[in-house]
Amino acid sequence: MTQREVTAPSAGSVAAGAIYDLGYRGYDGPRLGRRAAISTLFWSSLRAAFGMRRGAKAKIVPWGLTVIALLPAAVAVGIKALTASSSTPAPSPFTYDNYLWGIQLLFALFAAAQAPELVGGDQRHRVLSLYFSHAIRRSDYALAKLGALVAALFVMALLPLLLLFFGSILGATDIVDAFGKELPHLGQILGSALIYAVPLGVIGLAIAAVTPRRAFATGAIIAVFIVTAAVSVIFEPLNIQPLSSLAQLANPFIDLDGTRTWLFGGSIPNSPISSTTIALPLYGLVTIAIALIGTALILWRYRSISA
Amino acid sequence: MPLIAARALTKRYPRGVTALDGLTLDVEPGIIGLVGANGAGKSTFLKILLGLIKPTSGSVSVMGMDVVTQGTQIRQFVGYLPEHDCLPPDISATEFVTHMGRMAGLPAGAARERTAEVLRHVGLYEERYRPIGGYSTGMQQRVKLAQALVHDPKLLLLDEPTNGLDPAGRDEMLDLVKRTGTEFGITTVVASHLLGEIERVCSFLLAIDGGKLLRAAPIASFTEHTGTLAVEVEEGAEQLARRLTDHGMTAVVEGHSVLVDLPNAEPYDVVRDAIDDLGLALLRVEQRRHRLEDLFSDQAHDAA
Repeated sequence: MTQREVTAPSAGSVAAGAIYDLGYRGYDGPRLGRRAAISTLFWSSLRAAFGMRRGAKAKIVPWGLTVIALLPAAVAVGIKALTASSSTPAPSPFTYDNYLWGIQLLFALFAAAQAPELVGGDQRHRVLSLYFSHAIRRSDYALAKLGALVAALFVMALLPLLLLFFGSILGATDIVDAFGKELPHLGQILGSALIYAVPLGVIGLAIAAVTPRRAFATGAIIAVFIVTAAVSVIFEPLNIQPLSSLAQLANPFIDLDGTRTWLFGGSIPNSPISSTTIALPLYGLVTIAIALIGTALILWRYRSISA
Repeated sequence: MPLIAARALTKRYPRGVTALDGLTLDVEPGIIGLVGANGAGKSTFLKILLGLIKPTSGSVSVMGMDVVTQGTQIRQFVGYLPEHDCLPPDISATEFVTHMGRMAGLPAGAARERTAEVLRHVGLYEERYRPIGGYSTGMQQRVKLAQALVHDPKLLLLDEPTNGLDPAGRDEMLDLVKRTGTEFGITTVVASHLLGEIERVCSFLLAIDGGKLLRAAPIASFTEHTGTLAVEVEEGAEQLARRLTDHGMTAVVEGHSVLVDLPNAEPYDVVRDAIDDLGLALLRVEQRRHRLEDLFSDQAHDAA
């Protein structure tokens, strides 16, 4: 390390003393390597998914959607608390079974808005060549970004379910008893949130990774959800079974609800799953296929993209 | 063991373009200029070193590690400044360089400290807290250098570091590159199509053309004195050449100059007397130096 005395730049500061130029210092500390780099990328991307460390404008959509997702649960918990003392407590319209199905549009919008945010800019501004010239592999980048989007959707799905969970415990007259009754549902809560977060995150990122253009990506993701929803109802008027039910497999949200019903039960009246004629595990299979094929497409995209 | 060792390195792109054609070279520590025309294969070579693209055939190692199989280990110790824009406009230089430091494996605290240090080194002060999108090209180029330096690399790869800069910005960037290489002892490879820049900052030169190594030697050997004396006269160069040839010298005419070989004997007296006899107006007598440009023009002559 060199230490040189440099004359102060302006005459007025001569009396104030000298500036010490410490020169350049090397770095001998630890280098945490690939694993730390992946975790850095995951966490910074998760923060970016919620517009953190960005301007206020970047927060509007993710926070707005998260608040809207929480709103029905908050109102239900509030009403329950207000009517708890009366002899006939109002039954909550929301359950762990039907809540996520009810707010499915919000997940589609979140994926459409935030998936391009996570991966579009790196392609648009060619930051990708810097990432790829660091101590990570291309697949690491792809999976860290996918993980971040899935985690963001998971948080968005989990928060309202947890609000229902704690609402029903804290709103009960016998809290200990209510806790004992609600606790077994925790697996279902985590599982349902995961069932929604993984495939929707994969779909969103697989589409967003294709283009550096944000508007195109957002439009394409919304288009995919609209088209698949349309295809799923196309044969409905004909009512030919099992054709009508098979067509429903095209809609990822119906697949998700089918998977959820298959694993946790609790068929909900306003979902097509309640009247399906095909076996529930088939929905689970399609959901897994969406996740795997989508992930493979993302990995392939980042292997071949030029940087 | 050389820092970089390439053996018969070849890269062909799918459309039949051959970017590197059996390139074999060694790079020893220092500031190395990688010079060649646009399309000579400079960027391709750097990108192969980084593992950004895969070679078609041949092999190359960095610090004794193979770039294809040990890319992540190598990249921990390599800094890269791409030729093109590569900065996100919506975050500040401090945030971006810290993030890149952490991507290189630095712990959070160290990444922040190193960021402050390298940003000061490249000359970014108050503006480092503002979003990069509002920076001038010169400032952006400094941020690109800072992110390449933040993790204290052992090898720095700079691809056209003065791209898009005005003359003053070029000078500053070249000074910065030179200081980085000499004071910090980081081996630096500077790819450029501008010989003048290479000449200013580098100690060693690798000239490539058409994906092949043209020449590898210390810069000094390119610019040292040649065995040629150039005598420039206002007119009568041919007369002078004839007279000198009569004296048994090898003299050729080049424009208004006569180029005399300097074998062993001192020809100065003979030249002086000849000019005096012929009554010519002498403009200049100088010993010729090699110029880097000759490297490529010689090659062109050979080819023709």
